[in-house]
Amino acid sequence: MSLVIETSGLSRVYKSYQKKEGIWNSVQGFWNRQHVVKKALTDVNLRIESGQIIGLVGANGAGKTTLLKILSGLITPSSGEAKVLGFRPWERKSEYLKRISILLGQKNQLWWDLSPLDSYSLLARIYDLDLKKARLRVQELATLLRCDHVLETQLRRLSLGERMKMELIGALLHEPEVLFLDEPTIGLDIVAQTTIREFLQKYVENKGPTVILTSHYMDDIAKLAHQLLLISQGSIVYNGTVEQFTKKSEAKQLLTFRFTDELSSQVRIGNEFILSPGQKEYSLKVSGQQLPTLLSEITHLGALQELKIEESDFEDVIRCFLEKESRVF
Amino acid sequence: MLFAAFWKRNLGFFKLAISTNLEYRLNFVIDALLQPTVTSGIEMLLWWAVFKSVGSTAVAGFTREYYLSYALWAAFMSRVTTSWMYESRMVEEIDSGTINSLLVRPLSFYEYYFSQLMGYKFITTFFSFLIPLILVLNFNLPTQFDRLPLALLLAFYYLILIHSISFLVSTMAFFLTKVSSLTTAKNLFIWVLTGELVPTDLMPPWLQNIMFNLPFPSGAFIPVGYITGRIGIDAVQRGFMNVTVSLVLVNILAAYCWKKGLKSYVGTGA
Repeated sequence: MSLVIETSGLSRVYKSYQKKEGIWNSVQGFWNRQHVVKKALTDVNLRIESGQIIGLVGANGAGKTTLLKILSGLITPSSGEAKVLGFRPWERKSEYLKRISILLGQKNQLWWDLSPLDSYSLLARIYDLDLKKARLRVQELATLLRCDHVLETQLRRLSLGERMKMELIGALLHEPEVLFLDEPTIGLDIVAQTTIREFLQKYVENKGPTVILTSHYMDDIAKLAHQLLLISQGSIVYNGTVEQFTKKSEAKQLLTFRFTDELSSQVRIGNEFILSPGQKEYSLKVSGQQLPTLLSEITHLGALQELKIEESDFEDVIRCFLEKESRVF
Repeated sequence: MLFAAFWKRNLGFFKLAISTNLEYRLNFVIDALLQPTVTSGIEMLLWWAVFKSVGSTAVAGFTREYYLSYALWAAFMSRVTTSWMYESRMVEEIDSGTINSLLVRPLSFYEYYFSQLMGYKFITTFFSFLIPLILVLNFNLPTQFDRLPLALLLAFYYLILIHSISFLVSTMAFFLTKVSSLTTAKNLFIWVLTGELVPTDLMPPWLQNIMFNLPFPSGAFIPVGYITGRIGIDAVQRGFMNVTVSLVLVNILAAYCWKKGLKSYVGTGA
């Protein structure tokens, strides 16, 4: 595997105008504006190898989209260096742009008034592709995404899910070596989300591009990503595999148990949890370390009818991690 | 090979403008036929009223028929040489962040809009041309048709300058949140200087001096004056020269602003 993305000390600062409430402040702001400087990215150092799906996760405003924008060449960093496929992205050289693609889940990148087929034909010209081969590729991708029936319908007449599939085909038409996906499943129903997820999985297996994926649906990340990048307040706070992350984290498990009879008095278990009287069923969020002691204590409290331990989902694991870092998710 | 790729994609943008404009049929008919008809009608009516009120058969040595012909061709040329619609789209792209989808593709913002503008002009000019043509032939108004190709060439050459100015104005959207007042003021200023409404040679001499040293009369007065026999080839040559010099200056400035603008761009909306 070769190194595809490398960054060192990458930072980006945004300056914005802040206006206080009220008409007088509007008048005052006409000649005297107060600006605030916000660090969106701070000293990001990355090394990403080819053929990987990288899940980029963080809260709103954590800096993930800023990182994607810099790596795709949309914006220039305030300081630091980045190389993607050996190019400085923000120089926007044609040779570079022909080898990457970015899909912004909340923005249309195809032409609103054209049918997807017309858009793809235009994209084939922009990327200097063979028109016949491009048509075959569209057909192949549309079949995989189960959307070949809408290829001749204007983009503006398609549903959100269909539109996203069309955007995905457009982003993959020129077979990019690096693919930036920003919230590709946002707002989609569960069926469309699954179709796109399965499609991406198959696509990466077959074609082997490097994918940087951001998503608020942790299922996307858990099921697709080989590597996880956790970003908080502009800094990378975790860089490793999803499995290692889950093991390392102190996420709580949900322990649910039901006694045959109600408890007659209040009981304290594991020094931390209080079980109120008059109930049969209890649910506790416990850590892996607390579990053995609690199980032992519970079994001594009375006859158990049911006992269930649920692993916390990936979303909880991430939330716990960020809470531990004293950051809000 | 590089030129072939450039040509193919720009032909694609050219066709894109035609497809999207034909998509909205009523809008297209109003834009290509109704609007120029109304504008021509108003300007002809204005000159008809002028001649009626002065009670003279000639103004500055030219008869009413000359001015009616001038009004017809000036309205047509002005439609050829304006790009306000594409200018507002360019500004909007930067303002709203939809430019993101263009910035990550191997094309330039300038060429993308230039080829679309040409595609749009191609279809609208074809229909708009019918209006002065029919009226001039019908009322036998003075027009030297052999001069039309050169006049149109100058108008389209001037259109490149207008597109470059639009490109320059659109780069302001990187720095300012709203540039609509700037574009309106600029368009009004240019419209007066083209001589569409009042032929430039009717202006006071000091103003004529300034105006003839600017490229803007090439947008209406020079091509129209040439085909109506008001001015000669030397004015056309001067028009080509002024546009060329302005093209160089505007494009240098626009390239600088574009580069600076991209550096400060925050990728709005993504």
